[in-house]
Amino acid sequence: MTITKNPWIVLLGTLVAVGLLVALLMGPGKRLRTAGAEPKPLLMYCAAGIKPPTEAVAVEYEKAFRQRIQLQYGGSGTLLSNLRVTKSGDLFLAGDESYIKSAREFGLLAEVIPLARQRPVIVVAKGNPKNVRAVNDLCRGDARVALANPDAASIGRTVRALLQKDGQWTELEKHVTVFKPTVNDVANDVKIGSVDAGIVWDATARQYPELELVAVPLFDAAAETISIGVLKFSEQPAAALRFARYLGARDKGLKQFVKHFYEPADGDEWAETPEIVLFSGAMLRPGIEKTLKEFEAREGCRITTVYNGCGILTAQMRAGARPDAYFSCDQSFMSSVADMYLPSETVVDNRLMILVQKGNPKGIRTVADLLKPGTRVGLPHHEKSAMGNIAWKMLQQMGLYDELQKNLTVESPTGDFLVNQIRTGSLDAIIACRTNHKPVSEHLDAVPIDSPLAAMSQPYAAGRNTRYKHMMSRLLQAFTTAESRERLETVGFGWRFQSKPNP
Amino acid sequence: MSSAPQTPARSGRDWPFFAGLIILSGVYIALIVAMLVADLSFTTPHHLLRAFASAEIRYSVKLSLISCTLTTLLSLWVAVPTGYLMSRYQFPGKRFVDSVLDIPIVLPPLVMGLSLLILFQTPIGRAIQRVVPVTYAIPSVILAQFSVACAFAVRTMLVTFDQISPRREQVALTLGCNRSQAFWLVALPEARRGVLTAATLAWARALGEFGPILVFSGATRMRTEVLPTTVFLELSIGNIEAAVAVSLLMIIAALAVLTIARTFGLRAPLERVL
Repeated sequence: MTITKNPWIVLLGTLVAVGLLVALLMGPGKRLRTAGAEPKPLLMYCAAGIKPPTEAVAVEYEKAFRQRIQLQYGGSGTLLSNLRVTKSGDLFLAGDESYIKSAREFGLLAEVIPLARQRPVIVVAKGNPKNVRAVNDLCRGDARVALANPDAASIGRTVRALLQKDGQWTELEKHVTVFKPTVNDVANDVKIGSVDAGIVWDATARQYPELELVAVPLFDAAAETISIGVLKFSEQPAAALRFARYLGARDKGLKQFVKHFYEPADGDEWAETPEIVLFSGAMLRPGIEKTLKEFEAREGCRITTVYNGCGILTAQMRAGARPDAYFSCDQSFMSSVADMYLPSETVVDNRLMILVQKGNPKGIRTVADLLKPGTRVGLPHHEKSAMGNIAWKMLQQMGLYDELQKNLTVESPTGDFLVNQIRTGSLDAIIACRTNHKPVSEHLDAVPIDSPLAAMSQPYAAGRNTRYKHMMSRLLQAFTTAESRERLETVGFGWRFQSKPNP
Repeated sequence: MSSAPQTPARSGRDWPFFAGLIILSGVYIALIVAMLVADLSFTTPHHLLRAFASAEIRYSVKLSLISCTLTTLLSLWVAVPTGYLMSRYQFPGKRFVDSVLDIPIVLPPLVMGLSLLILFQTPIGRAIQRVVPVTYAIPSVILAQFSVACAFAVRTMLVTFDQISPRREQVALTLGCNRSQAFWLVALPEARRGVLTAATLAWARALGEFGPILVFSGATRMRTEVLPTTVFLELSIGNIEAAVAVSLLMIIAALAVLTIARTFGLRAPLERVL
């Protein structure tokens, strides 16, 4: 046995052995790599409990789109810490809402798409041998009970909050045999028989054919959503979002969730390139055009935006047009078609002003000054444009409308028209919006109008019957980002949107 | 007093001793066997076959066996010199180094994984990753196993060299060997059993390694999924039967490898004697 006494032979032997082992490992790796021209795989962090439907959808998607999806499983909390450290990856599917919320708080998430609903239930062995029917049966003392740790798992936290409010928590806590770190640990305990009952998500319980669910009406109030989020630091956000859309599509990914006994979310329809129609008040165009372009690129959709006076747009809606979303010039128009839309959100506001030639040569200080003899006045058309309609109402209320007719030189369909006319010198004053004045403030002066009716607000709403409800709500998010806000404010809009606490 | 009555008297005294030995060790062995039998009640040959039929599980078996072996080889190349150095030489700060070597044993496995993960996000780590992707890739599996298993191998080698008297090496030196020759020709052959123990300990430890791998390598199917990961994944969807089946697979693989290693490893010194 002199072999081992020669260091070089030992070294050589080790190197050969390592080489052979590495070659063995690389075997399947190479086969994968020769598949070649496919795009970079998407790295998705996925709560281990939701593996079955997710994996099925990923396989389906890989086949259809030649896009590899690398699924990284773990407990939601572990995954969250991982992605905070590595700041890499594309998607995060958490086992429950609390982790999505934390990820949002850490600023890790861009878009979030709902996938399924879940609510707490009591779970027992088949046949319910201990006859557990309600929460107070768990306090009888004859059933061993497992709960998820309220500080580690969201199911535990949810149940504790509910029962504390209901006054049952202190009693139940006394009868809990064990607190487990995750919801699956609780279900596993019931399955193995080390406890008689546990409280878990119904979605989790349904993965266990050997267990029986006991619905608790009190728990229905705590229904929550399982969602997937696109990570902010994703290097291929469009590809990531596309898979997230596929996963959350009611006719694609959610079918697998149904197959695995999940209660699916009300998902969008799937289309590789969704065709969106947006009706928008003409005044909004300069403020939202760029945002729409970016949204198209990120979502992989095509948006046909119809910019027009809101009177015309709402008339088209009454005639049967059903855009996927409507960004209105004023709340009054939105209200007139409210039945066709989901609840609207006010994004920005605008204000009527009198615009005059630079230096205000006619000395116009108030609306009444427009009545001065020889003042050539231009107004927005009182029917064709939202602004005209509002100006008309305001003048009516001031009792000036009829008298103004003698100086009214022209009614134009849009504010831009009026601005061009006054700039050519054919008018002395016009009533238009702050957003009409801002781009030409070097050439025209603005005179504020002191009337509550001079204010206009621009709400956005998704169509009640759109096939892309979630995408349309993401469009609202796109309109309300800091970048979009800056664009809208640059063209003269005032900011009105108030972000609500995350649902 | 003749020696005749002494024999039964002595055997009478020895009987409780052996009974004690057998009972105490028997309790532990019975515990291990009982756990295995209990596991068997939660699985069927069908589950075992189905587990082995799955490409993912076959991959994780392969990855586990190969990565553990690589880890063992690497660990020996570090543990033998480290153990030798620590056992034979005195240097300032030795106590401190000794404690540092224990850190991987003391640290909770999850923290090991987290520390590795953070390490590879530092500028140096990122530079390495530009050449070889480590995080979430196969090298991370080996590194995670190595960082823990090696500590056990080092401990074993240290004790081994401590127990071998340095006299024979000193004799070799007086006979004209240099330090290297004394090590390769005298110390290492004498430490053979220790090397084998270190190797099997490192291998077994690496096979069961889970916490650091979950954090540092992830649990990606057909990529960084080792056997303990498979067990974790099956458990987290409530598939206890499959989890048990895979665990049994692990036990079978481990028993086979360790038995073979010990048989071969122990035969060598015999040959030397012959």
